[in-house]
Amino acid sequence: MKVPIQVTVNGKTHAHEVEPRVLLVHYLRDVLNLTGTHIGCETSLCGACTVMLDGQAVKSCTVLAAQANGAHITTIEGFAVNGRLHPVQEGFWERHGLQCGYCTPGMIVASAQLLERNPDPTEAEIRMAIEGNLCRCTGYQHIVEAVQYAARRMKGAAAAD
Amino acid sequence: MSLPSFKLLRPRNVEDALGFLHRYEKEGVQICAGGTDLLPSMKQRLFSPAYVMDIRGIEELTHIRVVPGLGVELGSLVKLSAIEDSGFIATHYPVLREAVMTVASPILRNMGTLGGNLCLDTRCLWYNQSLQWRKSCGYCIKKDGDLCHVAPGGKVCWAVFSGDSAAALLCLHAEIEIASPKGRRRIPLADLYTNIGDDRMRLGKSEILTRIFLPEASAGYSGVYRKLRLRGSIDYPLAGVAVAIRKKGKIIDDARVAITGVNPAPRLVKDATHALIGREMNEHAAMVVGELAARVAKPLTTSLLTPEYRREMIKVFAKQSASRATPSGPSIRD
Ligand SMILES: Cc1cc2nc3c(=O)[nH]c(=O)nc-3n(C[C@H](O)[C@H](O)[C@H](O)COP(=O)(O)OP(=O)(O)OC[C@H]3O[C@@H](n4cnc5c(N)ncnc54)[C@H](O)[C@@H]3O)c2cc1C
Ligand code: FES
Ligand code: FES
Repeated sequence: MKVPIQVTVNGKTHAHEVEPRVLLVHYLRDVLNLTGTHIGCETSLCGACTVMLDGQAVKSCTVLAAQANGAHITTIEGFAVNGRLHPVQEGFWERHGLQCGYCTPGMIVASAQLLERNPDPTEAEIRMAIEGNLCRCTGYQHIVEAVQYAARRMKGAAAAD
Repeated sequence: MSLPSFKLLRPRNVEDALGFLHRYEKEGVQICAGGTDLLPSMKQRLFSPAYVMDIRGIEELTHIRVVPGLGVELGSLVKLSAIEDSGFIATHYPVLREAVMTVASPILRNMGTLGGNLCLDTRCLWYNQSLQWRKSCGYCIKKDGDLCHVAPGGKVCWAVFSGDSAAALLCLHAEIEIASPKGRRRIPLADLYTNIGDDRMRLGKSEILTRIFLPEASAGYSGVYRKLRLRGSIDYPLAGVAVAIRKKGKIIDDARVAITGVNPAPRLVKDATHALIGREMNEHAAMVVGELAARVAKPLTTSLLTPEYRREMIKVFAKQSASRATPSGPSIRD
């Protein structure tokens, strides 16, 4: 039996009927065609599927689409505003925070969550925040530098305001 | 990996939840809180319930409340990240924060609840596997089969309780509230667990864990939690030790030690309390604590690490934690 859901994804509201067993990541990718959110392990380990759900970073392979009813979701597609990269995206660009890019959308969401809660993280805090996001390529060093770059940018922007 | 089909129930309060559990008891209802343990297990077909009851909409169970004179009341749906962020818990019940901070990874702590962490399914190398994997090995006692690969010939299941916060909460002498169709009852957390791998909790099919209470008398104990895991960043404990100590001057006034990740239930090491009260902490006392903790640990080959190593690490962690736990400041009334 399908259940009706209404979700706002990257500012746009969608209404659909879904089977209760449909996972949020499958809904985002297969129904809304937002394939920026990746699927890796499907068992809550790798973090490739991380999205913002009502302001909290969650692994969308472990949330039912039906549980997101009424929620506001931000996926990687919603990070850039009018073609201008989010500071964390810019950090990944400037500091080479990616190679194959598979982990990147999840890494960016997890990093953005960290900077929201802690605008001035230490290196150890950055590494701890992305503990649940696995990267097979970079060795993490450039990801950490990308987040440090973003932190500086965001502080600069806050000072300029 | 897809989930099996089920019907979804979404109660808004405890009474509705109990009503659903009662009404659909025969068909089978599985409670889903954060889902971080349950949903991966459903993908592996360890659970294929007719109904999944998502209890996250029960607002009354999402709060941390300080009750002056009594202690702290935590709803079972309090997220682990909320405990991590609570300055009050950090100050007065540091051992709980230490344990919670080691659960999974930050994003899973945004999703996982304290209640789910306490009701966590027990784990075993032969159980937490895909359907095909388990089928090819002839299944096991815990799910779909009748043999035990861990203790061949055995008739009991040794799957291990693998939650971190329970050890800390045992040290704090936490109590829990269980809601059932007959009303609510309050029991010590220790009484929730059976120490049987495939029947882990004394929780009826139509009951829910609703609240966790930290007594005020346990506030202000210094605390340490240490665990052994495969990958430092994300894995379940394969041996975990929590220690909470209160001193008067140099003398230990009270001490509690609990272990997890090595038995089908988290366990208090009661002898450690007797061994420490009235003494000063020194190398010898810490060593005795290590020995006593290791005596309670009964690990078997339920994981990729050997039982000998896990038992030894219980000893090492208990010893180190006992010496590291030093008084941590103000009492709850300050
Ligand atoms: C990759 C990974 C790593 C992990 N690492 C750790 C770790 O290091 N340490 C650790 O402790 N855990 C770990 N976990 C498990 C899990 O994330 C946490 O234990 C979490 O706190 C579980 O809470 P939940 O709300 O998500 O539980 P759920 O998955 O919703 O539920 C877990 C079980 O408890 C039952 N249940 C939940 N709430 C109630 C209730 N109120 N009343 C009665 N029954 C209830 C459910 O029916 C289910 O059987 C890990 C999980 C993953 C996927
Ligand atoms: S796909 Fe969700 S955590 Fe790996
Ligand atoms: S860039 Fe390839 S997995 Fe991280």
